[in-house]
Amino acid sequence: MTGAGFLLDLHRCVGCGACVLACRIENGRVETAAWRRVLALNLRRHPAGPTYFLSVACHHCEEPACLKGCPSGAYEKRPDGIVVHHEDLCLGCRYCEMTCPFATPTYDDAKGVMSKCHLCAHRVDAGRLPACVSACPTEALRFVAASTTGAPIAGAAALVPGFADPADCGPALRFLAPAGTRRAELFRSLEEALKR
Amino acid sequence: MPALRTIRTVCPRNCYCTCGMLVTVDEGGRIVSIEGDPENPATVGHVCLKGLSYARREAYPDRLLTPLRRSASGSGFEPVGWQDAIGEIAERLTRVRDASGPASVLYYEGSGSHGALGGLSMAFWRQFGGCTTTFGDLCWPAGLEATRLTYGVNFHNHPALTVQSRLILLWGHNPAETNVHQWRLILDAQARGARVIVIDPRQTDTTDAADMHLRPRPGTDAALALGLAREIVEAGFHDSAFLEAHAHGFEEYRQRLDGFPLEHAASITGLDPEEIRALALAYAGTKPALLIAGFGLQRHSRAGQTMRAVALLPALTGNVGIAGGGWQYANLASHCLRPLTLPPEPAASRAIPVSQVARHLESLDGPPIRAAWIERGNPAAQNPAAHRLRDALARLDTVVVVDQFMTPTARLAHFVLPAKTLFEEEDLVTAYWHPYLQWRAMVLPPPGEVRPESEIWRALCERLGYDTSYFPADRESFLQALLPVGCGFTLDDLKSHPIDPSANSGVAFADRRFPTPSGKVEFASDEAAEAWGVDRVPDYAPLGEGAASPARGRFPLQLLSCKTRDRIHSQFGNLDWVRGVERPHVLDIHPDDARTRGIADGSRAAVWNDRGRIELTVRLTPGIRPGVVHVLEGWCHDGDPDVNVLTAEGITDMNHGATFYECLVEVARA
Repeated sequence: MTGAGFLLDLHRCVGCGACVLACRIENGRVETAAWRRVLALNLRRHPAGPTYFLSVACHHCEEPACLKGCPSGAYEKRPDGIVVHHEDLCLGCRYCEMTCPFATPTYDDAKGVMSKCHLCAHRVDAGRLPACVSACPTEALRFVAASTTGAPIAGAAALVPGFADPADCGPALRFLAPAGTRRAELFRSLEEALKR
Repeated sequence: MPALRTIRTVCPRNCYCTCGMLVTVDEGGRIVSIEGDPENPATVGHVCLKGLSYARREAYPDRLLTPLRRSASGSGFEPVGWQDAIGEIAERLTRVRDASGPASVLYYEGSGSHGALGGLSMAFWRQFGGCTTTFGDLCWPAGLEATRLTYGVNFHNHPALTVQSRLILLWGHNPAETNVHQWRLILDAQARGARVIVIDPRQTDTTDAADMHLRPRPGTDAALALGLAREIVEAGFHDSAFLEAHAHGFEEYRQRLDGFPLEHAASITGLDPEEIRALALAYAGTKPALLIAGFGLQRHSRAGQTMRAVALLPALTGNVGIAGGGWQYANLASHCLRPLTLPPEPAASRAIPVSQVARHLESLDGPPIRAAWIERGNPAAQNPAAHRLRDALARLDTVVVVDQFMTPTARLAHFVLPAKTLFEEEDLVTAYWHPYLQWRAMVLPPPGEVRPESEIWRALCERLGYDTSYFPADRESFLQALLPVGCGFTLDDLKSHPIDPSANSGVAFADRRFPTPSGKVEFASDEAAEAWGVDRVPDYAPLGEGAASPARGRFPLQLLSCKTRDRIHSQFGNLDWVRGVERPHVLDIHPDDARTRGIADGSRAAVWNDRGRIELTVRLTPGIRPGVVHVLEGWCHDGDPDVNVLTAEGITDMNHGATFYECLVEVARA
């Protein structure tokens, strides 16, 4: 069994932020912090490395640190892998913010509780794609449904340079490496350099 | 759960995409979702971040919802009712007209919102006795004219055919930021094996994904095109059969190429000769090859001849009239609407070049400009010589600005009238990349005191006792009557799906018929010579203010002010949602250029020339060509640095365009 999650094609993502805005609209994040972020790597285009973007939200980990770090049981790992935060159970203690290696949960000042991406579970349950995936104009961000076969996605990597150390959480997010002659070469050399 | 309505509409911004949209609103008039319209075959199912940001923009706290009048103290604005606003504006305009003539009033309309009803303003001005308008365009006119002179008309292949290309050459074009739907198709083509090659002095999101990238000196594209053509002909890679049947003036053109041997083209463009040769062989040796030119390489005084030189390469290689090939600049297939019925143009009317508004506000005589009406535009930030334009506007007797937000232009007004959004008035919207005419629906009623511009003009006509029969009694039947005679579709059809009104099969010039004077592709054009005084054959001449000009002694850096995905010019840049995801606003400078000036990354730098000076934060950018610096245009809110205080009021060699990218500057530590 592999849980539901996102797949990001680093060649197709242009870091435009449409996913961030689609999430804001769908989840009513109007004046509060966005649940999704786009991290730009090497926007100055230093020749030693490639330029690409990481569109990230919650990674719906196999072993969610937020859930483990929550004293009030506000987090739930659904059978399909989606990690849901229940606001009504949240103390607002912010432990999850510290335990999550990606600092994914955000504190909502007005309400005094945490909140985070729930993979648009309400849409997924209705057979629809998460709002961010549906909106992505280059079809770089994709949704991978929970699978009982557990077969890995061809060519997909769990880690890329620029992505935080996931500790033992087992994030469900997967990446497809950048292509294009020059960018692919730079990406490989960056991976090699980081391994050393 | 409140009842939801989903309405098909279209984004009318000045943008390649003109996305079909499905907007869902609840009973309270709140937008609950914005999605791409799957019925639009070019923008299938997606909109960009700007389209999504309408959900925030529509009811943004800063939106203007009532007419405003400059307060008596002169500092700030106060709300005023429509009746008083219209009455006072009518009185002030007629006073200026009666004292100095109708041409002493400038009517300036920008490209901020596309739709057929925008033209109704002239129903007022012509009854007013005329006015001063602008001619030309700040954006793209030289390339349009170059294409028309070469191929007879501005059509190109349907976007969906992009995936059939085996090589895509993007020339001065950055679709990853400025046409994200086209970018999706280019990535699809690349995934199917197409090579993607980009010509751009900057490294961009587009060049990052490319298989090859050339960074010529800005303004030398004509020399590159002619140098490439010479290599192609030398190698025998030109399509002799196509040229024999469909080229006019090829021999003259061929002689012109003798002046551009590889080494010469390389020394002008600053490229390696081998790069040029490799590009020539790749482009001419792969079929079908698609050449897509952006607007950037025609934002200088040699624009028309440059674009003619570039536009001929697809014809030279026989890539015209085939799927997966072609020349793409702009596609006007949807520009089919019948003209509005308007009063006759009064003799007192006159027009000034749109790239020279500041100069004419300062010095125009017979009569001088004393009042201005500005709508759908933000010239105080977006036109060349913006600071002079601002000063000149501030000296006028009366300035009226119609806008949704308090822009730098609106701040200078005596009256600011609240503008509708795209959701608040029906209209018909044409496009310039895909061929579709689209229906813009009324999704929501205008909030507060907001009125559509067409209603503002009607109110002014009523106030002055003018004939109001030019205005729609009923907008739907009015717009229905603008559809071309015998087009075979109705407004109801348009409401259900976008329509390509042209008879094109999807492949432009599939029949090899070119509506030029010769009926062929014009490698030499008498019309170009007669209309614009340029050489019959495309040629290269150095820019007056470019890499090879004497002014480089004092101002050695070429400044580009390019577009990004975060804004359409200065629109959207005021929204918090957009600011949360936008590109940093910095001066891009090559580390070598920074080092010689003692400028550190992240420090403040001054950028100046004889026209103006701005300060901003430096980003050392190895990806930009040395000798070139770059600032994103369109950031003009809350004291942002204003790049257009640096740009010049030049005019392109054809069709009255602006010369934003012909701009030398010097940079130093601030």
